[in-house]
Amino acid sequence: MANPVSNQEAISTAPVANRALPISGAVLAVSAAIWAYLAYFAPLDHVQGLIQKILYVHVPCWFAAYAGFALTAVCGALYLWKNDERFDRVAVAGAEVGVLFCTLGLVTGPIWAKGTWGHWWAWDPRLTVTLVLWFIYLAYLLLRSFTEGSTRTARFASVYGIAGLAAIPLNYFAIELFGGAAMHPDNLERGSLGAGMGWPFAVGVLTSLLALLHLVLLRVDLENRRIAANSTATDWDSDEGF
Amino acid sequence: MNALLAVLWKDLLTEWRSRDRAVAMLLFSMLMVVIFHFSLPGGATTETRAYAPGLLWVAYVFAALLGLGRSFAIELENDAIEGLARAPVDRGWVLLGKTIANLLILGFVQAVTACIFALVFEMDLTPVALELIGVVALGSLGLCSVGTFFAAVAVRTRLREVMLPLLALPFYTPVLVAASRATTALFETGSVSFEPIQFLIVIDASYLIASFILSDFVLDE
Amino acid sequence: MTAVIARELEKRFGSTIGLDRIDLEIPTGSTMAILGPNGAGKSTLLRLIAGLARPSSGSLEVGGESAHHRTARARVGFIGHATGLYPELTARENLIFAARLRGVANPGARAEEQLAEAGLTRAADRRTGGFSRGMAQRLSIAVGLIDEPEIVLLDEPFTGLDRTASDRLVERLMGLRQSDRTLVLVSHDVTLAARLADAAVVLRRGRIAHRESGDRLDPTTLEDAYSAASERDVA
Repeated sequence: MANPVSNQEAISTAPVANRALPISGAVLAVSAAIWAYLAYFAPLDHVQGLIQKILYVHVPCWFAAYAGFALTAVCGALYLWKNDERFDRVAVAGAEVGVLFCTLGLVTGPIWAKGTWGHWWAWDPRLTVTLVLWFIYLAYLLLRSFTEGSTRTARFASVYGIAGLAAIPLNYFAIELFGGAAMHPDNLERGSLGAGMGWPFAVGVLTSLLALLHLVLLRVDLENRRIAANSTATDWDSDEGF
Repeated sequence: MNALLAVLWKDLLTEWRSRDRAVAMLLFSMLMVVIFHFSLPGGATTETRAYAPGLLWVAYVFAALLGLGRSFAIELENDAIEGLARAPVDRGWVLLGKTIANLLILGFVQAVTACIFALVFEMDLTPVALELIGVVALGSLGLCSVGTFFAAVAVRTRLREVMLPLLALPFYTPVLVAASRATTALFETGSVSFEPIQFLIVIDASYLIASFILSDFVLDE
Repeated sequence: MTAVIARELEKRFGSTIGLDRIDLEIPTGSTMAILGPNGAGKSTLLRLIAGLARPSSGSLEVGGESAHHRTARARVGFIGHATGLYPELTARENLIFAARLRGVANPGARAEEQLAEAGLTRAADRRTGGFSRGMAQRLSIAVGLIDEPEIVLLDEPFTGLDRTASDRLVERLMGLRQSDRTLVLVSHDVTLAARLADAAVVLRRGRIAHRESGDRLDPTTLEDAYSAASERDVA
């Protein structure tokens, strides 16, 4: 009788994620070092002072949070189209890593805000939408936790990921048109980008995206190992499925 | 189209027989209105009336979530959902039929709630009744379309009805923002500009189209 | 014309394999029995043919179309484990709903026919919530056949039926056979399966362990194959 494990090996992507890890880790380390250096030595903003440097963390987090969700949504769509569960593994990795960046962004934002405008929070479009994104992430992850059966979980999660992506612009426009609250100090940020501030931002964004990539690969690798470990222990008398 | 009407008929008939959803929703929203009255200082005043539109929508959203959560519970009882999944039509029609049924039941509850609201907050809504119905209908279509869709998902998870508000929140916020703005304008000035209405139409269309397309995946086992 | 064709059909549930590259053909007008122990994949196979789930890989065609597609679903009637009934609706209303949903031309008239066929005319206006198990099962079969589908799938339909109802169902199935319908029957009852079917497969752990076809199926060989499939692996 054929060994059940042999069917699993075809599904695993262990080679790809595993091989890529050392490379992505190395590139990330380099980028992070450059970024830290640039951020440390960047000139002090004459209006905001030292606290402005939190933005070098905050803005990149924001990019990574949205990139993470875009990854989740796209992989969800690919999973539904191709029926290949490897896409689902990347999707869940994107969500778990993305939510970390989103949380970090939502924490660093108010710290900066309190230090500059004096308020912890404002219900302007960008902030509110990022909060909505955080709730979408949360709902996505809870949906996955509480759905039984991995095929159903993958399918529901994929649908929610795609839907969630559509919710973001709708929320943005809703608040911009009808919110009527304070404006995100966009002007402040962009306006005060004096000489020597552009690079730390750019490298910061690059670093966060690399960090996203590296952590996603790490998570996918973890998932691959978990599935490989489970399949060798499969009990054929279990009632999963029928 | 036949399938849509069949599902609509079945849902309304089932609801008529048991009335449990409508009654629960009605009691719940009445409870909310009473609680609002007691929790706002001073009862009906100009200040509290400023909050009336927002509070009305709060009551509507919670009533909707209650009803939507239950709309798929009946389908799971004897796995009747399989019959729906096997219907020889685009599954979007089945979900649309349920959406309309939910909308009608919600509409009934909303009408009664609005009357009680008007009483408690001492407001005369008759001059804006027609426009109000329009705004509420548009907003509720948004709530029901995306709500029915996610109810089909939520009911097959371990948290069931608790999962629905979680899933629906990011999709309810745009509806709430626009609908509440439109309702406020109605209450305060007696008329509403086209902007929020237009936005609600866009939201409704997006939600309806998206749930139609994705419904296939949601009704698989 | 072949009613159902499965090629390299696979259904995975996470890391568990429910169906492992099944190749199967069910000719139009024939009756196929699917046997095997619990967990072998019988219900999974049936549900895939009914269009309730998608295959993980491979192909499954019903009447030339992919089984999951709505045109294929139109040809298939499915009678599963659960009754699929709405407790608040009467027997008649359950039938009318199913008829309308599946596009039957004259829902009311067809409902009456099916009620008579199932022997439920007197209970037609009672809510199904109060039905006994046997009545519910009979109604569920009537609902499954409401649009007179070309292909009828039955997942252990004799569960919960007493002797009379059982005999009645056997008669009904024989009638369907004669009207040139394709039947796929999942059952634990090997003798009955041998009697009704033209062909049989025995599933074991998602694979076809034994196939048989011909005019008269031999219940003994089927019984042996079933027992063999039910044995656990010796370590």
